[in-house]
Amino acid sequence: MAVTTFAAIDVGSYELELTIYEISPKKGIIQLDRLRKVIGLGKDTYDRGIISYDRVDEMCKLLHRFKAVMAEYQVDDYRACGTSAIREAENREVVLDQIKVRTGIEIDVLSNSEQRFLCYKAIAAKENEFNNIIQKGTAIAEVGSGSMQISLFDKDALVTTQNLKLGALRIYQILSRMGGTEADRKQLAQELIDNDIETFRKLFLKDRNVKNIIATGVCAMYLGKGAHTDKQRITTQEFLDFYKDLREMNEEQISEKYDIPSEFVSLVVPGAMVYKRLIEVTEAELLWLPGVRLGDGIVAEFAEQKKLIHFAHDFSRDILVAARNIAKRYMGDKEHSAILEKNVLNIFDGMKKYHGLGKRERLLLQISAILHDCGKYISMRTPGESAYNIIMSTEIIGVSHREREIIANVVKYNTMEFDYSADSVTLDKDMRIIIAKLTAILKVGNAMDRSHKQKFKDVRVSVKDQQMFITTASAENIMLEESMFSEKADFFEEVYGIRPVLKKKKGV
Amino acid sequence: MTMAEGKEFQKYEYFQNRELSWLQFNNRVLGEARDKSNLLFERLKFLSITASNLDEFVMVRVASLKDMVYADYTKKDIAGMTPEEQLKKIGEGMHSLVDAQYSTWNRSLFPLLKKEGIVFVPHHELLTKEQAAFVDEYFEQDIYPVVTPMAVDSSRPFPLIRNKTLNIAALLKKKKGGEGKGELEFATVQVPSVLPRIVELPAAEDGTRSVILLEEIIERNMSRLFLNYDIVCAHPYRIMRNADLPIDEEEAEDLLKEIEKQLKRRQWGEVIRLEVEDTVDKRLLKILKKELSIKDDVIFYINGPLDLTFLMKLYGMEGFDHLKQKKWVPKPVPEFANDDDIFTNIRKGNIFLHHPYESFDPVVDFVKQAASDPQVLAIKQTLYRVSGHSPIVAALARAAENGKQVTVLVELKARFDEENNILWAKKLEQAGCHVIYGLLGLKTHCKICLVVRREEDGIRRYVHMATGNYNDSTAKLYTDTGIMTCDRAIGEDASAVFNMLSGYSEPLSWNKLSLAPLWLKNRFVSLIEREIKWVSRGHEGRIIAKMNSLCDPVIIQTLYKASAAGVKIDLIVRGICCLKTGIPGVSENISVRSIVGTFLEHSRIFYFENGGNYEIYMGSADWMPRNLDRRVELLFPVEVEENKEKALHILLAELADNVRAHMLLPDGTYEKPDKRGKVLVDSQEVFCKEAEETAKQLAKDKAASTEGRIFIPRESPE
Repeated sequence: MAVTTFAAIDVGSYELELTIYEISPKKGIIQLDRLRKVIGLGKDTYDRGIISYDRVDEMCKLLHRFKAVMAEYQVDDYRACGTSAIREAENREVVLDQIKVRTGIEIDVLSNSEQRFLCYKAIAAKENEFNNIIQKGTAIAEVGSGSMQISLFDKDALVTTQNLKLGALRIYQILSRMGGTEADRKQLAQELIDNDIETFRKLFLKDRNVKNIIATGVCAMYLGKGAHTDKQRITTQEFLDFYKDLREMNEEQISEKYDIPSEFVSLVVPGAMVYKRLIEVTEAELLWLPGVRLGDGIVAEFAEQKKLIHFAHDFSRDILVAARNIAKRYMGDKEHSAILEKNVLNIFDGMKKYHGLGKRERLLLQISAILHDCGKYISMRTPGESAYNIIMSTEIIGVSHREREIIANVVKYNTMEFDYSADSVTLDKDMRIIIAKLTAILKVGNAMDRSHKQKFKDVRVSVKDQQMFITTASAENIMLEESMFSEKADFFEEVYGIRPVLKKKKGV
Repeated sequence: MTMAEGKEFQKYEYFQNRELSWLQFNNRVLGEARDKSNLLFERLKFLSITASNLDEFVMVRVASLKDMVYADYTKKDIAGMTPEEQLKKIGEGMHSLVDAQYSTWNRSLFPLLKKEGIVFVPHHELLTKEQAAFVDEYFEQDIYPVVTPMAVDSSRPFPLIRNKTLNIAALLKKKKGGEGKGELEFATVQVPSVLPRIVELPAAEDGTRSVILLEEIIERNMSRLFLNYDIVCAHPYRIMRNADLPIDEEEAEDLLKEIEKQLKRRQWGEVIRLEVEDTVDKRLLKILKKELSIKDDVIFYINGPLDLTFLMKLYGMEGFDHLKQKKWVPKPVPEFANDDDIFTNIRKGNIFLHHPYESFDPVVDFVKQAASDPQVLAIKQTLYRVSGHSPIVAALARAAENGKQVTVLVELKARFDEENNILWAKKLEQAGCHVIYGLLGLKTHCKICLVVRREEDGIRRYVHMATGNYNDSTAKLYTDTGIMTCDRAIGEDASAVFNMLSGYSEPLSWNKLSLAPLWLKNRFVSLIEREIKWVSRGHEGRIIAKMNSLCDPVIIQTLYKASAAGVKIDLIVRGICCLKTGIPGVSENISVRSIVGTFLEHSRIFYFENGGNYEIYMGSADWMPRNLDRRVELLFPVEVEENKEKALHILLAELADNVRAHMLLPDGTYEKPDKRGKVLVDSQEVFCKEAEETAKQLAKDKAASTEGRIFIPRESPE
């Protein structure tokens, strides 16, 4: 069929949303219908840590209705994603199970970086406007109900992304517990926000030049209401005028003047405060409101994966650039990493038939190679553990929490003995196998450049008779590498049943 | 919003009270009953309409003002009147309206009927011997079994007199020989509503036909109902009770149940009007007043038959065709006069509909075809008032049975139709439709139908939007306009409308439609203000707006502001109009006309010149606070050039009307324009003629295409 109908369900912290899309090579992705309903899951999670039964009930009823709409459009496929309110809920597993049993809908809980990456995909899917905007220094700022995400661009690739706990609902919740007048509370909120943003400026923004801010998320929905002509591209001045009204008016007046639904006014005000501060510290000139929603990202990814449409933008490059940026911060050896990357990928590709892993694992291996020596920045003695900790606490956009844990383990075991009975409760069987397989490759690859002299620059990998031959054309002495190699080769053999062998090309 | 800016136009004297304006409207209808140029039976119909209009007015508006007075609510209305002051003025207005109704009946229509060979026997005493024998026989056979005489004494309390029913009250005296000492006793009988109010008597030899009213026959035979009594006197009377009981939605668990309950309770409301014969016996009246706790000012002494709505039945009498306007048969819509299915025709371009000049059939067919079309996935529709055996309701039920997703928003709060509505709503539910019973605190007044169809190149949505209800009966009498389209942007909006009606959040943005109560008023204000901007830039500013009622203060103030700025504004307002014309410096550039014709003017069309690039909108909303704030209304643009011209043509023809139009004068009264030396233009007639012409042309074309000897093979649909 030329036309695919797809549904995306966003189980957000403030509202649930169902969007029906039509995907065709000819017309691309078209939004057919969108249903939103406010269910304050975040109110439960942020306040009490768990999602109450009543909310689960409410959610199940709504999801049932969503299913009816999906049936109405006879959708071919769907994906439901949950974000921070579910992610952070202590009773997450029970809630997800309830939903699955009662509605048949399985919700993928997105890690923050996955979620942001999806949103980013949705923005990048608006190719013309997006490419135009990022000609100048650009930041993406997504103020959601639970947290905010700021991502910075270098030319056409994302370089860093940070999550700040400046969610509009969260701020609103904190404030509503305080006393004082409306004006007092707005003042307090501003201080709270200013502090966090200032920290971000010092640590990450530094002297980066940001001219455009791409604003998305629940708070950005209504920021364009004060604009005069183009409601999607608003100037700093237009925004500040609008902001002034928000500060001075009460919720009812704001709702009336700007046609903002009353249930969103309480989010728009703290959201606007965050943007205002961000504009001040970056001195940005323009706010672009692409109006994208998580669902737009979900469908973009679906369409990409199913090869229904093709994006000009290379998203895995964003991930790699972001990873290299992290390596840079921890002063990794760039040249060594580059050769290591090449070698491990070579081995990975050569072993394809034997490891059975896919494109995504290849990317994880590549990131592991990029980040393999970041732990040295903290300690030369325990680089493995240090790297593990760094990676576990650094977001890499587009990489899920689970995937990040794989990377952290692969990097850890690169310099440590592999522990089959690792104690982490979060590691499941599949993950352990992937970790073992990738670690084996990384260890071998790393041993090939023990001297950091890039002796194994152009290697050929071939497998024959339970042996993997790594052939180099290098004329240099490979004694050091060979001597280090056997220990690593043992582990490789343990994992794959194949013995890696270093070889010099004949006649050299 | 510019509410504060417009303060200069906010004076009480710039506004007319809406109830008084409504009375003026009913007087205009009465004017048609008095107009000698109208055919006799049409005049009877107009008189009947004034009576039923007044009933509803009393039951709803007067009742709610009474409630306000009881609640000590003293806030002044837009024209500076307190509820008490309004009631006083309305009382005066109603009394003079009723006087005019009966003088029209007694002095004009009653004698004219006689002249045309219909004798209306006003009192049973005037029956001939033969006629009297006939009615007595009729009483014995048909009436006696269904009447329930009720006497009142110490053991039998005063019975419940039902709202709006016609009754006969009598004073009785025990016959000699019985017990008691000749004291007067009170009795009452409801005139049975199951029997026709008009009874035709055997025709005279010369062919003259005679009729008498049912209550006269009962009155004549009262003694047969109370055998042991002498009838001292007997007079018909009718009461009206407070019916506008507000429904407490916050507490109502199930709206449906609540309304069912209200309908039963309604009969118990306070009596706010009593109609009695002007010759009523004083003693009898005293008892009625006491038992029903009626104050003097709500008593109407009637010089003639009570409840003139029976005249509508008289209109229905066989024969007399020369005294009735020829029944209009709506003409086919040209865009559908081919063999293609409805969806194919809509894909050819947006289609403009103008009822009743053009047939309502395409709208019914739209739902019917959708119900059985295998490609249709879903049908969603709002239903406000539908006819008794609505083909649309039947089609929706069938669609659900065919496995389509059918969502129907049923509005249960449409006045007086509720019992009817609940019935078919249940029917739809049984068929598997998803029925939404309205929204808390809001009336769903928008008229929209959405058909979602899965086609080869993806989902396509077909939308019908209109100014009138999905009622095939009223579509023959009400003038309404509508659009059928498969425009993508409108389709997306239409889905959003139904999502909102189903309880989901507003869409982040709308493409082309506007929905009240959320945006409509602001939208209109900004459209009016845009005209002011054009004037300030040296262009002409012009607005033509047609609606049923105009009483929203913010809109009126904005119109005043526009008029003061030089925008030329022509309003066609059928009913209530709180705006005043000709106020120096305020409304000199505004004209208001009201068209009262054979068909009930019902369409809402809004024209904005927009500096030469004119825009036309249609919708379900009047410029009334009730509509703009507490109802869900829809405003949609007319987009295709050809359709814009059609809509504009309607407005211009109505502005040229000098037969049916009344002009609002600066003194607040309405008057028909001076016709001397002018070509007579009756806009409704113009539209009829045009529709006829088009139909003739169509028939001709069709004949031409089938006459030839060349066979035209029909292509397979799609």
